[in-house]
Amino acid sequence: MHPAFSVILFTVISGAGYGLFILLAAFHLAGIGPAMSHGELLAHGFASLGMITLGLILSTGHLANKKNAWRSFMRFKTSWLSREAVFAVLFYPFAGIYGLGVLLQGSAIGPLPAVAGSIAAVLAVVTLFSTGMIYGCLKTIRQWNTALTPANYIMLGIATGSALFAAIAAAFGNATTMHAGVAMVALVAAAVLKGIYYFWISRVNGPTINTATTFNRATVRLLDTGHTAGTFLTDEFGYDPRKDTIDNIKMGVFLLGFIAPVLVFASILSGAPAGIAWLAAVSSLVGIGMERWLFFAEAKHVVRLYHGAQTCTDSLAEPSRVGPEVAADTRRGDAPRGELGDTPGGSGS
Amino acid sequence: MRLGLVIDMDTCVGCHACAVACKQWNTSGTTGALTDYRPYGEDPSGVWFNRIRHYEVGDYPNNKTVNIPMSCMHCQHADCVNVCPTGASYKRPEDGIVLVDQDKCMGCNYCAWACPYGARELDREDGVMKKCTLCVDRIYDEQLPPEERQPACVITCPAHARFFGDFDDADSEVSRLVRERGGVKQMPELGYKPVNTYLPPRITRPIPTDDVRANKLVSSVKDWVNKMVAR
Amino acid sequence: MSALPEFENHSEQEIKYTTCYMCACRCGIKVTVQNNKVRYIQGNRHHPINKGVLCAKGNAGIMKQQSPARLQQPMRRKPGTERGAGEFEPISWDEAIDTLSERLQKIRETDPRKLAFFTGRDQMQALTGLWATQFGTYNWAAHGGFCSVNMATGGLYTTGFAFWEFGDPDWDRTKYHMLWGVAEDHASNPIKIGLEKLKRSGGKFVAINPVRTGYQAIADEWVGIKPGTDGLFALSMLHVLLKNDQFDWDFLVRYTNATQLVVQTPGQKGDGLILRDDDGNPLVWELEQEAFVDGSQVDIKPALFGEYTAPDGRPVKTVMTLLAERYLSDEYSPENTEEVTGVPAKQTERLALEMAHVAFKETIELDIEWTDSWGRKHDKVFGRPVSMHAMRGISAHSNGFQTCRAIHLLQIMLGSVDCPGGHLAKPPYPKHVPPGIKPAKECAPNTPLKSPPLGFPTAPEDLVIDDDGNPLRIDKAFSWDAPISNHGLMHMVVTNAVNGDPYPIDTLIFFMANMSWNSSMNTAEVMDMLRAKDENGEYKIPFLVVSDAFHSETVNFADLVLPDTTYLERYDTISMLDRPISEPAAAADSIRHPILEVDRNVRPWQEVMVELAGRLKFPAFTKDDGSRKFADYKDFIVNYEKEPGIGFLSGYRGKDGKTHLRGEPNPKQWEAYIENQGFFVHHLAPNQQFYRFANKDYLELAKHAGWVGKTDPITIELYSETQQRFKLAGQGLYDGPQPTKQEHKDRLTQFFDPLPIWHKPLEQTRIDEDEYPFYAVNQRPMFMYHSWDSQNAWLRQICAQNYLYMNRGKAQSMGIEDMSWVWLESHNGKIRVQVKLIEGCEPNTVWTWNAIGKQKGAWGLKPEANESNKGFLMNHLISELLPKKGDPVDNITNSDPVTGQAAWYDLKVRITPADPDEASTWPDFDTIKPAPGMSEAPDQLRYAAHKPVHLNRSIRDVLTRGSLDEDK
Ligand SMILES: Nc1nc2c(c(=O)[nH]1)N[C@H]1C(S)=C(S)[C@@H](COP(=O)(O)OP(=O)(O)OC[C@H]3O[C@@H](n4cnc5c(=O)[nH]c(N)nc54)[C@H](O)[C@@H]3O)O[C@H]1N2
Ligand SMILES: Nc1nc2c(c(=O)[nH]1)N[C@H]1C(S)=C(S)[C@@H](COP(=O)(O)OP(=O)(O)OC[C@H]3O[C@@H](n4cnc5c(=O)[nH]c(N)nc54)[C@H](O)[C@@H]3O)O[C@H]1N2
Ligand code: SF4
Ligand code: SF4
Ligand code: SF4
Ligand code: SF4
Ligand code: SF4
Ligand SMILES: [Mo]
Repeated sequence: MHPAFSVILFTVISGAGYGLFILLAAFHLAGIGPAMSHGELLAHGFASLGMITLGLILSTGHLANKKNAWRSFMRFKTSWLSREAVFAVLFYPFAGIYGLGVLLQGSAIGPLPAVAGSIAAVLAVVTLFSTGMIYGCLKTIRQWNTALTPANYIMLGIATGSALFAAIAAAFGNATTMHAGVAMVALVAAAVLKGIYYFWISRVNGPTINTATTFNRATVRLLDTGHTAGTFLTDEFGYDPRKDTIDNIKMGVFLLGFIAPVLVFASILSGAPAGIAWLAAVSSLVGIGMERWLFFAEAKHVVRLYHGAQTCTDSLAEPSRVGPEVAADTRRGDAPRGELGDTPGGSGS
Repeated sequence: MRLGLVIDMDTCVGCHACAVACKQWNTSGTTGALTDYRPYGEDPSGVWFNRIRHYEVGDYPNNKTVNIPMSCMHCQHADCVNVCPTGASYKRPEDGIVLVDQDKCMGCNYCAWACPYGARELDREDGVMKKCTLCVDRIYDEQLPPEERQPACVITCPAHARFFGDFDDADSEVSRLVRERGGVKQMPELGYKPVNTYLPPRITRPIPTDDVRANKLVSSVKDWVNKMVAR
Repeated sequence: MSALPEFENHSEQEIKYTTCYMCACRCGIKVTVQNNKVRYIQGNRHHPINKGVLCAKGNAGIMKQQSPARLQQPMRRKPGTERGAGEFEPISWDEAIDTLSERLQKIRETDPRKLAFFTGRDQMQALTGLWATQFGTYNWAAHGGFCSVNMATGGLYTTGFAFWEFGDPDWDRTKYHMLWGVAEDHASNPIKIGLEKLKRSGGKFVAINPVRTGYQAIADEWVGIKPGTDGLFALSMLHVLLKNDQFDWDFLVRYTNATQLVVQTPGQKGDGLILRDDDGNPLVWELEQEAFVDGSQVDIKPALFGEYTAPDGRPVKTVMTLLAERYLSDEYSPENTEEVTGVPAKQTERLALEMAHVAFKETIELDIEWTDSWGRKHDKVFGRPVSMHAMRGISAHSNGFQTCRAIHLLQIMLGSVDCPGGHLAKPPYPKHVPPGIKPAKECAPNTPLKSPPLGFPTAPEDLVIDDDGNPLRIDKAFSWDAPISNHGLMHMVVTNAVNGDPYPIDTLIFFMANMSWNSSMNTAEVMDMLRAKDENGEYKIPFLVVSDAFHSETVNFADLVLPDTTYLERYDTISMLDRPISEPAAAADSIRHPILEVDRNVRPWQEVMVELAGRLKFPAFTKDDGSRKFADYKDFIVNYEKEPGIGFLSGYRGKDGKTHLRGEPNPKQWEAYIENQGFFVHHLAPNQQFYRFANKDYLELAKHAGWVGKTDPITIELYSETQQRFKLAGQGLYDGPQPTKQEHKDRLTQFFDPLPIWHKPLEQTRIDEDEYPFYAVNQRPMFMYHSWDSQNAWLRQICAQNYLYMNRGKAQSMGIEDMSWVWLESHNGKIRVQVKLIEGCEPNTVWTWNAIGKQKGAWGLKPEANESNKGFLMNHLISELLPKKGDPVDNITNSDPVTGQAAWYDLKVRITPADPDEASTWPDFDTIKPAPGMSEAPDQLRYAAHKPVHLNRSIRDVLTRGSLDEDK
């Protein structure tokens, strides 16, 4: 799948935002950890809502026809994308009531904002789950079609959120071993889950060029795609990163996404200044950005079988060709250039 | 009704007539102009609903070339419809045709992701998703003569490799062909239950040669005795 | 329920019927027009050719009409600029026609052959040929000489009809079809319709072709033959038939010259000619009378086999005896031909016997009463349901004429000629073998030719040579180089004119031919030749006129450009005098008429020709009082009569429009055609549909309609006396003109033969084959017509870059990688191309799509277009002359020595990997400048004839319903 920059930014940023919110709700409402100052609460709240909102705005970046974006709430009945949108929007009033409560009442909020905050936290999880399910429900992309996908989305959101949470807390001088510990646990859990995912996708199988073409008893090879240049399909699905790029990025995911942040928190636990939690937060965000890129780049849509891939994990047999690029001014969306007789006259024939 | 196409891989010569006919009809059809990018420049491309792909089965010299035209399969389990958040994509209950209402689409590509058969193409200029309509604006247009109320691609196919009809009607031509010729579906394991069905290349009858082999081969002109054949 | 969509508003639309011209197949089209824009082009289901279907090109007609390459106005080369520099200035039509007619007038008054007029892929050779005849120049031909003359000549000198234009397989009844060297052909839609019928009815389809794509993809059996060896393969199957005593004895005796007696006096004059009586009738040996009798009589019982001594003492043998003696020889056994053809012996044998089985054990009987030429009634028609079709895979080789004859021989032996299930003629064919017209030999000032420029020689006397034996025509057609070049040698015109060999010319007119690019061999040098000047600084071809509708590579070289209309904008006839649209069981012709208004300053070429003919006062275009006979093309078509009652259009004749085939001119003939959807069909009665070479009712109709000159039966020539006459001339044994040069003597003795032979393609005999190990051939893509369609925005999305396809295993053994760039080299030059590896290719063959490569800037394409940066043209490698060896043959055309058919597919090449940084086509030519008035190609295209109609899914439906499956 072609990694769309806007989608990467959106899922990483809003994921972290939801994670942060969940942490906030957990610490504040469930009373885990130290009491937070009004300022700190507001900082967590604004940061999470800001990130969520920024993410959502960015997410419309990949819509080719933004004026119909409002219609995306219509198909809650069957579409995870619709559900995500609905939950994401539903989150706001509850988060808003909670936020208002905090704004007006400080740390000691009343029951209404507290209940609203709890509901918002649940909605944050549900939204993260829905985001994951957008990908997880697709039978066409074997690497995504697993419960690990939503699990990953939730866990990565919480992990990045917890790093951020610790960092913000540190900024308010309120960071505790609790913060670092929770972040470490979340990061390790996310790393393990991600590891399981990577192990799992190395073994996925599914349709092959044989089942795609219906010729099951012999080698099938693409002779010609029937078009000169790339198409929407090769653009969208023809992305074939090099193996070493994948390996390097994967290293980056673990190093920046998990190992470095965990080390940071470990060192905080062993006495380093809590302020370096910021390093962990930024590092995890960058790492998870790389993870998100990989999530797309490694996903191989089954339509590639028609473009020459032998299995649904292979790269295309043919070097990909350039896809449809539109003159800059006419371009919509951000889909980038893809890779992929004895008559006197009877003398003719 | 369950409308769809049968495509005969035994007679499809891969001529692309159906693809161009589709482009021609639909560029002034329900989905509006089908944009062409860089039509006279490098790497020309554009929006098509029907594409012909060519494959080789087996290794030389036991190789066979097959041409596979592909358009929307109007799947019974159309996940492209289920995933669509706006309701632009829908499947008509009365005949199973899967359509995209251009006025409602927000161009999120999600349906294209959900389609295993590459049937959906985003028109970057209009910003909306487009796909085969099974020529809904032909087959029901009563102002067209009855024999022309067929998809453009079916009418044009010079090798008569395309058939249109109701798969729910056991007596229809498409049902009969699928039955008699052992119709196959692409990637059935994904569970989309595509309606469009492909007919595999057929096995030809062996032609006997024993009855035309001479018991004793002729070795010289002298072996023939003239017959009395009147001019 | 979801509502029905809106439907388009038909009230603003108009339906018009005309004839497609996206290629020469000439299908009927039904065009929906809206505001002078095409909404939709579909096949006309009533049309005899395409029966409602339409190919990819036909479906892309809209984009031809949108092409930015359409020429806008007449232009001339800017005075003072160099030819080929692309500097043009617009001129008015008056000025253009004045300039041209003044120049032509001078030529016509002095030496008419100084005008050479050659036409490409046109469909009105009856008109251009008549025009040249009236002008008085024999330097006219169409493109047939480089296209498929081998197939036409091979057929017309054997059965009286031929593959493609003059015949079709009986698709409705055939049970076995063998397709030789065909990728697409002119019968583009009919072949597809036919193959489907064959397969649907359970018949077997065998494809003989080094490449397996397109038609061969759906073949039941693929014979991946080595190029240029089909003749041997056919003769090897003939060997198998003879060995197993499988041939149609009755057919041979009745309808062919198999029983005629051939004089056997090697080394003497008259050797190899048919034994004849004093009246010239062929003699046969009568078995009951035991005597020599006139073989054209009926009810005699001639010997098929036998050796006799003629009354004059000369030894004679029957044709069949000679045939059997030759092909029974071990030389032709499948085991011995296997190595050359690459076809396993077992397969050759089985295929021959399969055909024998189908022909003789699955014979068709139809209860049709018919009368033979001798007045005898028969109550049945028998069919041998084996059919064949062959085209350029056969014809584009220098042994193509002989190979084509070999394939016809197979058909004749199986008795599958013009019978149910076999190969059927299409009116106005069959004709007598060969047709009776001889090529014009003299040009005189202000005088029309005595006969048409092209004709059918049967003996050296018919050659168009001077007393010294030198060619008279600029293309050297009908000379010792290529005696039976029925269609001329268009591919030699530029070279010969520039060399002044046989003489310099003044004006060269090209109509509809891209002669500086894809239609010429040795392209790069031809471009230099078009620019070549003599020592006085004058162009060696002083004046070049090009009529084209689009901005082709050749237009760029013109001194005068006469822009044509498109096929949707003009009147045209697809005439019975030319190559009509007939089907085996029906004579048919058709027209085009303007269905769109012209939006540029362009004129139909036929209007220009009629105008010039009037101004130059051609006798056939001038009244006795010296005034013009025809106001315009429409008027000409209605009123011109070739002979009384016969004109360009055969339908709706007579004052009332009710007479057909022959009748007085009908002033409302165009209207009648338009009303009848643009075509006319005369269906043959069942008793006129088969055995037409000896079918009384058919031949009488054919005579009435002017298709044949006499009703005598047509004798199928298994044995070609014409060939023998030329062979004798080569041997110095002919009473009449004989060649004086040794190379001509050698060619005549080697390559002419009354019974088909196989010989190595000529190029291969003049190069080191180890140095150039690969055969290199082309195929027509089904979705592109020559150079025309790269300007088509839809079609070029299917393919704008061609690759060099080669066998995967072979390439891997040479270390050549898929999609890598390689050098391709022939004796004539080298090019750089990109390789694609495939299974379906004979390992010693490489191939590519024809005519995809374009010169930069031509065809309204942007300079960065794939066609001119990655696509390529094989033509650069092909020489118009034979490979140089330092002997007199060096200057002989690279063509079939019999017919002059350009030998495109004799090419042999070597392949070497290119450097990794050489990832583009080479050679790279200059970028052609756009012509004045041409609009720049848009970056994006959104064609629509009207606003889209809406689907209107209701909000309620959106909210309540999922996909169908879940609803259930
Ligand atoms: N779509 C389309 N249709 C066309 C044209 C076009 O440009 N495009 N051009 C028209 C014209 S002008 C012509 S002349 C006809 C020609 O129509 P075709 O006869 O179909 O011509 P080619 O495409 O040259 O195909 C020749 C075939 O012969 C094979 N071949 C080459 N050498 C040999 C050989 O030695 N033996 C055998 N058995 N096969 C061989 C090639 O692989 C190829 O498949 O098509 C006409 N129709
Ligand atoms: N290497 C290689 N070369 C080949 C062949 C091959 O197989 N291999 N095939 C050969 C054969 S068989 C043929 S027939 C030739 C084909 O050769 P050509 O006859 O030259 O065919 P095109 O290039 O299609 O078209 C010639 C010109 O006609 C113009 N034209 C199109 N429509 C109109 C119109 O309505 N009016 C006018 N006035 N002009 C129009 C086009 O713009 C184009 O410039 O190519 C030959 N060249
Ligand atoms: S083929 Fe694709 S677009 Fe068509 S119904 Fe099936 S899933 Fe949807
Ligand atoms: S692109 Fe349009 S049709 Fe497809 S899922 Fe998105 S809104 Fe629905
Ligand atoms: S049914 Fe209509 S829309 Fe669908 S592929 Fe055929 S022509 Fe195109
Ligand atoms: S038109 Fe018919 S033969 Fe041609 S590609 Fe389409 S299905 Fe195949
Ligand atoms: S074969 Fe195609 S391009 Fe040629 S005349 Fe017929 S429809 Fe037109
Ligand atoms: Mo041709």
